[in-house]
Amino acid sequence: MNRVLPRYAVWGVVVVLALVFVFLRSGLDFDYVIPKRLARLAAMVIGGVAIAWSSITFQTLTGNRILTPAIMGYEAVYLLLQALLVLFLGTYSAVLLGVSGNFLLSVLLMLAYSWCIHRGLFRDGKNNVYFLLLVGLVLTMVISTFTQFVQLKVSPGEFSVLQGFSQASFNRAQPAQLLFCGALVAAVCLMGLKALPTLDVLALGRDQAISLGVDYRRNVRLHLGLIAALVAISTSLLGPTAFMGVFVANITYALARTFRHRVTLALGSAIAVGMFIAAQLLVEHVFNYKTTVGILVNLVCGGYFLVLMVRTRGAP
Amino acid sequence: MITVHDIHKAYGAKTVLNNVNACFPRGGLTSLIGPNGAGKTTLLMMIARLMAPGRGEVRLEGRPVTGLPINEYAKRVATLRQSPDFNLRLTVEELVAFGRFPFSRGALTAEDWRLIGEAIDFLSLQPLRHAYLDELSGGQRQMAFLAMTIAQQTDYLLLDEPLNNLDIKHAVQIMRALRRLCDEFGRTVILVVHDINFAASYSDHIVAMKAGAVHCAGSVEQVITQTRLSELYGLDFDISQGPRGLLCNYFNP
Repeated sequence: MNRVLPRYAVWGVVVVLALVFVFLRSGLDFDYVIPKRLARLAAMVIGGVAIAWSSITFQTLTGNRILTPAIMGYEAVYLLLQALLVLFLGTYSAVLLGVSGNFLLSVLLMLAYSWCIHRGLFRDGKNNVYFLLLVGLVLTMVISTFTQFVQLKVSPGEFSVLQGFSQASFNRAQPAQLLFCGALVAAVCLMGLKALPTLDVLALGRDQAISLGVDYRRNVRLHLGLIAALVAISTSLLGPTAFMGVFVANITYALARTFRHRVTLALGSAIAVGMFIAAQLLVEHVFNYKTTVGILVNLVCGGYFLVLMVRTRGAP
Repeated sequence: MITVHDIHKAYGAKTVLNNVNACFPRGGLTSLIGPNGAGKTTLLMMIARLMAPGRGEVRLEGRPVTGLPINEYAKRVATLRQSPDFNLRLTVEELVAFGRFPFSRGALTAEDWRLIGEAIDFLSLQPLRHAYLDELSGGQRQMAFLAMTIAQQTDYLLLDEPLNNLDIKHAVQIMRALRRLCDEFGRTVILVVHDINFAASYSDHIVAMKAGAVHCAGSVEQVITQTRLSELYGLDFDISQGPRGLLCNYFNP
């Protein structure tokens, strides 16, 4: 009972938070305020599920609890694209491409990026997750340096546009994008659902998974592909979320107290969505847009994570 | 019967296995012995399909193992590497339940639960059934992993140094359990073992490897002789026939 209760409690909290978010000081304005808020809520749900799912499966595949897919260079690629767009097209890029154009371009570029690194790495029969990570980390640094270089070249006005892209926000998303992303995330999750028991076995490590009859190569590729799609979606939709995935995953493990992905993925999604809503509520109603969701999420998560580490030190 | 044919494996310029031919008869316990770096574990990993040979092939009952999908292979051959380290918080029962994965794909049936219980009882792990793995001693942990491998209900068990880091009591417990698996359940056990006396007391068959090749192979009496072991390890052996079987003394040459 004590093991199961937090799982449902989290869902309850998320629903309450969502209701508060939609109706608080809305004046029940169903023409403008509430549809706008529902769009933001949808962005949070899609982004939250994508971040939780991608981080937890990624940590399972690598057997490491302080990594997120962000470290594989996706967010760096996204920011470089934005920087290059601003450099070559100036602030007109927003007009030229439109929000949806930019979004589609980002998703495609990130998928192409992951396809390249996976393909290049798997071709010679090697299949080393740590090598993949090393390449991702080095590429992140190289690409970030390029981005910084570009940032030095643009004007202060353009720089502030770029600055906007480097922070997570829920206001960017358009209904068409949301629909597209929602469908994509749902499709990815459905594909992943069938593989959940296999994912549990993959957590035992390569050798044990193969001994238990799991086609390791094929499954790791499948999950890295799903992760790539999810990260591409969440980054294009919300912007970089950096280490939020680490917090979400670790808080999930502490609350779920089970290794089964059937539980952890659902709980993780709820935690991520709840965190987003809470942070956005604070930004809108308490801080009056003087701070960003990213800062709040990192502050709250970081604090809670520290408490968790100190409290569970005896029983990791 | 598992046979290996002309297996060759090299890492860069270093040859680890050089045209290895060996045969592991069905229904007995075969020990792989030899000095460090002889290629014992590499050979076992190839039989387990955790590593692909550079040349040559492994055959299960005469058929090349690469012809079987990995999922089918897991129903015939179970492998346990040296107690793997992962940061999952699992109970003994949850770990043993993984042994049923090749059959149930995660949805455990009543029959699966019966076999899980049997494997736990077989190694007398009942009192630890709901204990977490990270709370167990090294020996108990090793027993729990072995129980998972047993629950897989395969004809063949491949074990890589199952006695590593165990005290003599746990080592004897594990070897006796393996012996019973062969005698009472007709399973075939192939293990890499460093303690030559354990190999001599519990094996039906011994394959001795040296420098990437089979040095000699045969029954215990054929392999455990003064000349053969001296050649194998480069040590002086004093082998005596005691009331409880062969005893090799190499401690103080």
